[in-house]
Amino acid sequence: MAEFHKLIANVREALENQGAPAHNGDVALAEAVPTAQAARRVELASQFARELQAVGGHFLGTPTPKETIARVLDVATALNARSVAVGAGISVDPAPIVDALERAGIEVFRTAPVADDAARAVLRQTLAQCDFALVEADYAIAATGTLAMLATPDRPSSLTLVPPVNVILVNIERILTDLAAAIAAIGAEAIASHRLALVTGPSRTADIEKSIVLGVHGPRELHVAAVWQGND
Amino acid sequence: MPHESAPQDFFAASEAAVADTQLRRKLENATGRHLDHVAATRAEFPAYDAERDAARRIKEESIARLDDLLVRLKERLEANGCSVFVAADAAEARKYIVGLARERGARRVVKGKSMATEEIELNPALAEAGCEVVETDLGEYIVQLRRERPSHIITPAIHLSKEDIGLLFNEKLHISYTSEPTALTAAARERLREVFLAAEMGVTGANFAIAETGTLVLVENEGNGRMSSTLPEIFVAVMGIEKVIPSMADLSHFLEVLARTATGQKLTTYTNFISGPRRAGEADGPREVHVVMLDNGRSAMLADPVLREALYCLRCGACLNVCPIYRRVGGHAYGSTYPGPIGSILSPSLLGGATAALPFASTLCGACREICPVKIDIPRILLHLRWKETTANKGGDGALPAPEWPRAAESARDGVRTFSRMARHPLRARVLGRVAALLMWPFARRGYVRWMPPPFSNWTRVRDFPAPRLRRRRKARAKIEAANGGTKA
Repeated sequence: MAEFHKLIANVREALENQGAPAHNGDVALAEAVPTAQAARRVELASQFARELQAVGGHFLGTPTPKETIARVLDVATALNARSVAVGAGISVDPAPIVDALERAGIEVFRTAPVADDAARAVLRQTLAQCDFALVEADYAIAATGTLAMLATPDRPSSLTLVPPVNVILVNIERILTDLAAAIAAIGAEAIASHRLALVTGPSRTADIEKSIVLGVHGPRELHVAAVWQGND
Repeated sequence: MPHESAPQDFFAASEAAVADTQLRRKLENATGRHLDHVAATRAEFPAYDAERDAARRIKEESIARLDDLLVRLKERLEANGCSVFVAADAAEARKYIVGLARERGARRVVKGKSMATEEIELNPALAEAGCEVVETDLGEYIVQLRRERPSHIITPAIHLSKEDIGLLFNEKLHISYTSEPTALTAAARERLREVFLAAEMGVTGANFAIAETGTLVLVENEGNGRMSSTLPEIFVAVMGIEKVIPSMADLSHFLEVLARTATGQKLTTYTNFISGPRRAGEADGPREVHVVMLDNGRSAMLADPVLREALYCLRCGACLNVCPIYRRVGGHAYGSTYPGPIGSILSPSLLGGATAALPFASTLCGACREICPVKIDIPRILLHLRWKETTANKGGDGALPAPEWPRAAESARDGVRTFSRMARHPLRARVLGRVAALLMWPFARRGYVRWMPPPFSNWTRVRDFPAPRLRRRRKARAKIEAANGGTKA
């Protein structure tokens, strides 16, 4: 894989040298991958991005894990964030991002299984006070710009509900076409044994004269990065 | 009873509502915007009709084997660790929930937006038991502060302007006056956040209950349902028994049409799946989950082969927005938890009382049937209920008071008969028109007849009539005939 990415980087550089139109780096990388599967991934990711933006979310592009660090840091800087709550990863390791956040002077709280009510109260308080949350979604749905998140002890549901801003990572391979596909992929039995939240954009209301206001009870900002796996 | 709108006569209430031009402006504005969103969302989703048919078919099948599905659902919920209580009526449901709050010492109760809990009038019962009950859907919170009923299934505060809400928050929340929706929402968020973190009990409804897995599905935009089912230790969901669907695979067909029709969104912000209490090590989710399966008249609806179809209703609220009656009088005139076309079916069936007259509060134009995501034939059911109501009263057993509406309907029918007799004959029609014009002419002021003595005041009380033009009529008719190619049948 390392050679492969190197090749792509070379190709991209070559194209740029020829004065080809400037692309968003990641999209160019994706388009250059000569497999139908990769092309499909990019197609789904861009559809997802469009729908996410339509519901008021922010798309952070399709970074590699290494590039993801910078994207998350950018959000944290823009927020002037001092603390972050981080959920356990699924297929993207959050450790390098956490290190970078800590180096940037941001206090990091890692969610972990709670043993008792005291621990539960501490978690609640922390989540209520942190500036943003960083967590990986199980799946994303391209057709609606939706994130599917199963709650687990180390990725609690309130992580994506209580903090005012959410930064969500999703593995680009886990962006599925539509709702039916996502429900099938998660599986009825997983839903029966975990809490599942489908999240489509930031919390919103239209209760006052039908004008849309973001951030009623849940997060007012939602940032999503579709992480392109592989070696940097 | 904190609700100030007690059971009332629709006829009288609607007259007052129609005269309220402010209310009409607000309703036209909100429902009009809604319809634009719905049309746009549907236009860009070619599969809409296929999904709608699928949803309809699943509802038909589910209601046809409701018994099996409820048995299955109860088994699965219990296997998942939920307690299931079957409530035959509203009183039983209230008693169970109030008893639970007492037993567990829950004093602070948060509610997610739910029509079923409105239906059973849970809030006054909990308040009486000493609980502080807070509605957390922004619209519901606003109407609760005003001690009112919601006036729309989806948009409870549709009858209020942002200025109304600004004044309300200024008075009740002691914030400085603003009519800015963002600022008002932020003020509510701050208040309600504290309430959520302190509440011991959360109560919501359920949009779907999946028999296969014992899963409740709760659809919403703000996070009120998710908060109410995530943070408190005790969670209660009140579900009408018609909400059950067979399997997880059926769900997407409903979700694909529900939000598109209800709000013009592709999917609501939050779709919450709750299958049971939290598990070991989990931080969130309630310790106890109670599911109240509510009958309250639904099995009686099931027994009526025409009325049964109304059990397919998803409570999307779209039929309210398209209804020419609702758009002019608003939800409060109906004097019921469920207003609008579908409310005129559900209310007499689930709530009874004065709402028995509501099926007559419709022009049967059919716009509701057109927009319904599960294609409920609302006009047909309204006619069926009118027939039932009329024949029940003609039976003369004295059990029901003679309703006003059938008599009004009868006199309207007589009027239409007379008119059609006259209109069928060109000479008679011309004479009738002439007589009417001569009668009205003395009352015409500046192009309109705004007042006439009884019995014509029945018309002029709520509508203006264009002034008759005594001279130009024949010329105008000649023009029309010419436009029609001169072959007027």
